[in-house]
Amino acid sequence: MRALVAAALFLGAPAWAIESGAPLPALVVTALSDPGRQVALATKGDVVYVDFWASWCAPCGQSMPLLDSLQKRYGTRGFRVVGVNKDVSVADAQRFLRNTPVGFTLVQDSGDRVARAFDVKAMPSGYLADRHGVVRFVHRGFTADSEAALEREIGTLLDEAP
Amino acid sequence: MKGTLALILLVLGGCVQVAPYDRGYLARPDMALDAGMGTARAMEKVHPSKEAASGGASVGGGGCGCN
Repeated sequence: MRALVAAALFLGAPAWAIESGAPLPALVVTALSDPGRQVALATKGDVVYVDFWASWCAPCGQSMPLLDSLQKRYGTRGFRVVGVNKDVSVADAQRFLRNTPVGFTLVQDSGDRVARAFDVKAMPSGYLADRHGVVRFVHRGFTADSEAALEREIGTLLDEAP
Repeated sequence: MKGTLALILLVLGGCVQVAPYDRGYLARPDMALDAGMGTARAMEKVHPSKEAASGGASVGGGGCGCN
């Protein structure tokens, strides 16, 4: 009986969410457009922003063009965005991308392996990691203030010595 | 007693919180409680007169359904 209660409590226990100071999970994920291509989430030496998005998430629709613009502006200095898609089907994501094309890396996460590793608490969620692969800023949700804050944080991390 | 408790624990296992990233189906328009803004307003207006009562929803007027 005690074992049953313990098992019930254990199964309900939450995973540890990734917060500032935690290392970016070293995962290799599948590209969204090409299931045969594998992409490393963390690349040391780059400032990486891992963004969880979906076509059904309204604020994600606002954040995607802004992230694309940040990638274009800071890409040459070593900034990289990786968009982890959380749509039910890849076709939904592709339909969204036809209207809102982006130039940054997009990956899929069937089976929720990546979302579970981060313990994503909101949509969209973004994790900004420094050049050493340490998460320094976490964004949950996306508001009008998010772009300015994100740009400031990216600038700070890019200015740090590699 | 133990059997009941075990059954409750077993049934509780069926209640899950859908993760924020897994709400693709829940976010579909046809999963909304109201079919649409216009339909919901019309139903809200007609319901009190059909039921001969008003209240619960924020409908203007006295419940005669004529306004």
